[in-house]
Amino acid sequence: MRRKKRMQKAIYYIVVTAIGFLMVYPLLWMIMSSFKETNTIFVTAGSLIPDPFTIQNYITGWKGFAKITFGTFFKNSAIISVLATIGTVFSSSLVAFGLARCRFPGRKLLFVMVLLTMMVPAQVLMVPQYIWYHKLGWVGSYAPLIVPYCFAIQGFFVYMMYNFIGGIPRELDEAAKIDGCSYFGIYARIALPLMVPALVTSGIFSFIWRWDDFMSALLYINKAKDYPVCLALKLFTDPASTSDYGAMFAMSVLSILPVLLIFIFFQKYLVDGIATSGLKG
Amino acid sequence: MKKRSVALMLSLMLTAGLLAGCGNDGGKDTPDAGADAGGAAADAGTPADTQEPAGAGDADTDAEKEPITLSVFWWGSQLRNERTQQILDMYAEDHPYITFDGQFSDDYWTRMATLAAGHTLPDVVQMVYGYLPQYAEEGTLVDLTPYIEDGTIDVTNVSESVLETGRIGDGIYAICNGVNASALFYNKTILDEAGIEIHDYMTVEEFKEICREVYEKTGYKSSLSYGGYTSEYFLQYLLRGEGKQLYGEGALGVDSAEELLPFFQIYEDGIKEGWHLDPSLYVERTRGQVQEDPMVYGSSPENMSWCGFYASNQLVAMQSAAPEGMDIALTTFPGNNAKAALWLNPSQFFCVSTDSENPDEAAALIDYITNSVDCNNVLLGERGVPISNVVADAIAEKQSPDDQEVIAYINNVVTPNCSPIDPPNPASSSEVFALLDSLTEKVMYGELTAQEAAEQFFEQANAILAE
Amino acid sequence: MMKKIKSCLCRESVSGVIFSLPFIIGLVLFLIVPLGISLYYAFCEYNILSPAEFTGLDNFVTLFHDELFWKSLGVTVFYTVVSVPLKLVFALFVAMLFQKTTRAAGIYRAVYYLPSIIGGSVAVSVLWKRMFAVDGTINQILRGLGVQNTIAWLGDTRTAIWTLILLTVWQFGSSMLIFLSALKQIPASYYEASTVDGAGKANQFFRITLPLLTPTIFFNLVMQVINGLLAYTQCFIITNGKPMNSTLFYMVHMYNQTFVYYKAGYGAALAWMMILIVGAFTAILFLTKKKWVYDGGV
Repeated sequence: MRRKKRMQKAIYYIVVTAIGFLMVYPLLWMIMSSFKETNTIFVTAGSLIPDPFTIQNYITGWKGFAKITFGTFFKNSAIISVLATIGTVFSSSLVAFGLARCRFPGRKLLFVMVLLTMMVPAQVLMVPQYIWYHKLGWVGSYAPLIVPYCFAIQGFFVYMMYNFIGGIPRELDEAAKIDGCSYFGIYARIALPLMVPALVTSGIFSFIWRWDDFMSALLYINKAKDYPVCLALKLFTDPASTSDYGAMFAMSVLSILPVLLIFIFFQKYLVDGIATSGLKG
Repeated sequence: MKKRSVALMLSLMLTAGLLAGCGNDGGKDTPDAGADAGGAAADAGTPADTQEPAGAGDADTDAEKEPITLSVFWWGSQLRNERTQQILDMYAEDHPYITFDGQFSDDYWTRMATLAAGHTLPDVVQMVYGYLPQYAEEGTLVDLTPYIEDGTIDVTNVSESVLETGRIGDGIYAICNGVNASALFYNKTILDEAGIEIHDYMTVEEFKEICREVYEKTGYKSSLSYGGYTSEYFLQYLLRGEGKQLYGEGALGVDSAEELLPFFQIYEDGIKEGWHLDPSLYVERTRGQVQEDPMVYGSSPENMSWCGFYASNQLVAMQSAAPEGMDIALTTFPGNNAKAALWLNPSQFFCVSTDSENPDEAAALIDYITNSVDCNNVLLGERGVPISNVVADAIAEKQSPDDQEVIAYINNVVTPNCSPIDPPNPASSSEVFALLDSLTEKVMYGELTAQEAAEQFFEQANAILAE
Repeated sequence: MMKKIKSCLCRESVSGVIFSLPFIIGLVLFLIVPLGISLYYAFCEYNILSPAEFTGLDNFVTLFHDELFWKSLGVTVFYTVVSVPLKLVFALFVAMLFQKTTRAAGIYRAVYYLPSIIGGSVAVSVLWKRMFAVDGTINQILRGLGVQNTIAWLGDTRTAIWTLILLTVWQFGSSMLIFLSALKQIPASYYEASTVDGAGKANQFFRITLPLLTPTIFFNLVMQVINGLLAYTQCFIITNGKPMNSTLFYMVHMYNQTFVYYKAGYGAALAWMMILIVGAFTAILFLTKKKWVYDGGV
């Protein structure tokens, strides 16, 4: 019996590691490529090991463009992603709670609207949105990249949290109501603490999406010194002349790091979610 | 020392070539034509240098001028970004009331479209021949003729024919900032080994013969213009050789599908006879990225090409992407009657947008880029051969051997043997281009014969252009 | 007085509106206005550079005669129908593998999530092409296994779309995370009780886990179907519709019309057509919801 269990465990780890290798292979390839000489990356794409090994790509890459280093780009990305994420998670949780727990006229319509926001392809809004944001005087600032997200306009998050709240037993609300809590009290004292896994999941998604969103940056940010990392990375490849793939890979590797760290750090909150918060049964 | 004199000679020839221009404009050259030698010999005498003291003298008035911000928008490589930013800094030092807002980006035309929609185009924008008519006709660009007439933009050292490439209707809307020409790149190392000679101005039949020979002797395949923006160039080139233009008024410039047939026939023959690359290769490579071009990259001759259809100024990038020991040279596209077919092409332009609040200052900046030797000593012809002969001379000796090879090609091969450029493409040409691309693809995949493709192109392109 | 206001604010309907206020404001300010403009464009000829000109239903007439509209719609629907179920099954499988709260599980989760972090970068584009090239990694492995004929994965109209599907399935991380957080919601006591009753692992999965996960599966399904129909990046960075439009996604077709050909009016018409199609797909999914989604609360 014990032996069988051990065998099972071994097989489990072998399979999981093998698939895991396939998962990380591309990243590994990218990291290794970033240590190759930039003009050999294509020719040696088949092999992982850099020969010769060089950190030159990181040095040239970090220098950035026209005297603006990647330090600046990272700072810009951090500002945009953090603010937009906080805004989106907080506002979405409010709206989701309202939709899930309160009955009010127009609720169904609003819910359909939430779904609708997910069905609108971003590309169709590019031109009209640009004209509109220009009228608001936002072009050239970070406002188009941050402010809309503070108004729960990404239906995905609202819908996800709505679903999650649906899984929280209503008895808890009733108990709180008897204790004299208003809906705001229920939201703050009951729902929010129980929603931590959903909040963290949303936060991770939102952060990654905002971190990678080069399209809005492309449209709304004018000055190179205000560029976020994702947009700066695109400057390495130019169809009309030689592209510095080495530097591009080096900076791509660096640009993944913050996202990866955020994921590793916060994912443990996913684990300590509802299951250990006194809801067993 | 020897290299230097060669460079000087080349630059002189280039100057003469550009001044002579192509075709009819040759006679109307600027009166300064004789002065170029002096300009090159004595750097101190260049316009930029003589302007500088004047600029310094203006310092008082400059200080009183209201501070302004000029935005300049371009696309390009890291090298271009740095050099362009540097010349803007230099210019701002001489003109302290100006602050520059240099913008460079990827996805340039998407950005340009939204900027234009919002009426927020930067003061100075980089432009290409293909998009120029659209932007000029819709009133987003300033007619620069008045600035040229009052000397704000000094064109005394620019040949008429080059200047004319910026003309749309009655106005000059763009100042070209570099010249190139279509060119067939070839792997000289392999051809030498196989004992195959290339001569300029070869015909399509001669070209096909070489493709067969190379394939037999070395196993290397051929890559035609498909897969890059030169596909349209090549078709244009072939048609010009027959005395036709690709685009006429609201229709194609040809009268029947038969005239388009030779273009598609090369592909059909290439695939049938086996010397053309497998079309699947073009999905595996990023279009236009020289590092991934089958000329310089591939695991065996089976997936590599001995030639590539490009624009001359890309030779430098291609050579630097080539593995060590591979020498890449350039010649003309294959076709009939090279004299009628070849043309000098503006690689890019700078324009002033109508959204600009300081068009005078924007025009002055374009003058600086066009005429200042100091400025071009930084830019070093990265956008193409400078259009002012004085400037081209002054920077020639600083340029690399590859650059000089390109200059020699423009001077010795193209300039003595070319005709004026076709009128700018109609607005819907990008759709025609996409159609050409997809039909060529179908011929290569064997879905269509060359005859069918020519017929479909004739019919559908005419329909698009008639809209 | 104060009390009155307070009790009014505490009323369910008023509270609901207050909670929804951010969305209502955001909806009007950032979506309704631009959407309205784009709806107007859909009935116009608009080349972006000059003002739009009303042309009635012209764009929609063009659309039905547009060969590429039908082609790209077909490609997109096929891609969605194939990639979404694969992705969800894989995501659920992996989520169950790493459900435990061990340190190793945490690391594995991060590793499996990596592809989703890399997203649609240039690196992925280069890598994917190198893997599926005729002389690429996949063919080398196949040759090692004794498969003789080489396949042009990207260059063959039959296989090219599958490389994009694979890329999508490979980036299953977001669905996995959502499954994980839902798995955490299932009280451990349910499993304990069933173990006492002598139920096996498979039995537990089908009797407890799956039914309780149906709301999450439904959510993921809706999200991924929408994402699939609106997919853009995979095609844009890797095949750009080649070969012979066999991988041309609808959104790429729309993007080309708008930003390459400057036919923004027609582009808007294509977009609104897609909004209708996505709406129809979503509505159908919601109609089937009652049939299979468990709604008993935990």
